Amino acid sequence: MSVDPPDPEPPAGPARSTADPAPSAAADLETDWRRLDPRMLLIHPVQEAIRFLPALLGVFLLGRSRNGGAGHWWELLSVAVVIGVGVMRYLTTRFRIRHGQIELRKGLVNRQVIATPEDRVRTVDVTAPPFHRLLGLAKVEIGTAGHTRERLVLDALPLAAARTMREELIHLRSVTADRAGAPHTELPPPTGMPHTELPPPTPDPVAETTLLTLNPAWVRYAPLTMSGLVTALAVFGFTGQFLRSAIEGAYVQDAVRALGGHAWWVSLLVGLASVAVAVSFLAVLGYILQNWHFRLSRHQGGTLHVSRGLLTTRETSIEEKRLRGVEVGEPLGLRLAGGSRLKAITTGLSRREDDRGSAWLVPPAPRSVVAGVARAVVGDDEALTAPLTPHGPAARRRRFLRTLLPAAVLAVGAAAVVWWLGLAWWLLVLPALVILGAPFLARDRYAGLGHHLSSDHLVVRSGSFSRRRDILQRTGIIGWTVQSTWFQRRVGLATLVATTAAGKQRYTAYDLPVAEAVAVAHEVDPALLEQFLAR
Amino acid sequence: MWLVEGGGQMMLLLLLQVGWWFLDGDGSRVPHLVVGVVWTLLTVAYLVVMPIWRYRVHRWESTPTAVYTQSGWLDQERRIAPVSRIQTVDMARGPVAQLLGLATVTVTTASAAGPLRIHGLDLDVARHLVEELTELTVAERGDAT
Repeated sequence: MSVDPPDPEPPAGPARSTADPAPSAAADLETDWRRLDPRMLLIHPVQEAIRFLPALLGVFLLGRSRNGGAGHWWELLSVAVVIGVGVMRYLTTRFRIRHGQIELRKGLVNRQVIATPEDRVRTVDVTAPPFHRLLGLAKVEIGTAGHTRERLVLDALPLAAARTMREELIHLRSVTADRAGAPHTELPPPTGMPHTELPPPTPDPVAETTLLTLNPAWVRYAPLTMSGLVTALAVFGFTGQFLRSAIEGAYVQDAVRALGGHAWWVSLLVGLASVAVAVSFLAVLGYILQNWHFRLSRHQGGTLHVSRGLLTTRETSIEEKRLRGVEVGEPLGLRLAGGSRLKAITTGLSRREDDRGSAWLVPPAPRSVVAGVARAVVGDDEALTAPLTPHGPAARRRRFLRTLLPAAVLAVGAAAVVWWLGLAWWLLVLPALVILGAPFLARDRYAGLGHHLSSDHLVVRSGSFSRRRDILQRTGIIGWTVQSTWFQRRVGLATLVATTAAGKQRYTAYDLPVAEAVAVAHEVDPALLEQFLAR
Repeated sequence: MWLVEGGGQMMLLLLLQVGWWFLDGDGSRVPHLVVGVVWTLLTVAYLVVMPIWRYRVHRWESTPTAVYTQSGWLDQERRIAPVSRIQTVDMARGPVAQLLGLATVTVTTASAAGPLRIHGLDLDVARHLVEELTELTVAERGDAT
């Protein structure tokens, strides 16, 4: 049986306002069972067609291979079926907002009713893919507290209506709190922590301060992140067919032959350079598509708004009270170029990657920009800039061992393969590079480890290729996990994990001395640990 | 309980081993014997050591404000969760556990990374713990209104 997370009031605070929102505010949103926008009738069949594309293609090809009449009927029938499914999807989806609940009813064969209380809303996204934009529609994705639930998606409403709904859902609580005269309190920190109460927000949700707008020059950071490589792989996957035919085309053959005439290392360099150029181009393209017109602003009502996107626009609202921190990401390439990026740690966004895309606060940008925004969002200078406590020589040894050993294995394995198959010797260059670079990588990985406890936040950092500095509110930490493998126990280390309801759900400090792990947990929440410590 | 579960896993490997024996008909039996002996020794060692080690490591404690568990054998883990953040308390019994009169209690919190699992509790103890935690959690809510 599920028990909802409790919302107790502080021990010595004002009486809590009633649980129901003020009637007038709720009535604005109340609707009866409504269908989504009729223009979806145009979009749903297309979406269905795309979904069933393999099957449709199969039917068409089959129709061609037979002769004449019967094939055509099958084709028409399949198209009709697809359109029919699209129409049915539209007709069977309805939503309603009533009694402080948002309900969505959908499905023909599998009926589903998804209901979520209004005050559980944590984030609201308004997304508009290209087709939707053409028709003036937008999808509303509502994220609620409750990590296991997927977001509630209303696909689609007219753009203005979507925006209004977002405003009202997000600001409902703050506006209501103001009307009722007492602030809504959030979940209390674990016992023993001083409780900070937020002042009632000023009733002016329109006033907005812009924290960040995209500077197109930041596109230069795009090739330095892994996203470029990932996009490239995806693109290669999709267009594999076309690539193959392109490669067999005469033009490419001539080019390869011309290359082959030179020394092997020239060909290698040219090959690598062209791959690098292609990957960079795709990364830049991806960056522009995702982050065009990136704008981060803060509403007086206490929410952060992010809007971005070129073809598919996405506008996200994050309630600041539910913001539990930020992740400052510094992947290797970006770090060397003096940039970083920022993600929000908030409840209401699941761990799935596409949902986490809503958490971006700053795309890859110069470090100073990111620091400025982080300061504005988090407000804790110490957490952002304080040097982190290193984890000690044992941790360093472990990092070296864990980096050098796989590198050595890889290199030896590659050498064995080359020798066995009698391939060209210059292929060994790659494993050699790996071996040479491994010590530097190990040192960097150790340098990335660190943690710090400021008055409000826990800061943990780790990694080299994808280094992240996670700044997590102490009040957002729910529990602790201390893990130690057999090897870690030999050297007195442990991995400390702070579990939280926000963001990635777990934030880890790797390889710290056991005593320190316990000390950190103890300092954040003395009462919790105290009862278990004196053994 | 762990002994039986570990034994179950070993059964699978035994099946694979026997399968190999029969399938690889032509070659000499020597490699089979070697592997067979090695495997038997390892399995026996595993089945003897693992449950005892596990039993020594596993601990749990529940106070009015928090739950603490310790688990693992080669890799060990300790978890803490405050009662005020508990969302569900579940009790599960697999087939082996049912035969032996044991149960596993799972405590989940608002964090997806947070569930605490206490394996192999005596059934009465498990029931008592579930009741106790449910009462505590409900009491927290009672303070809320």
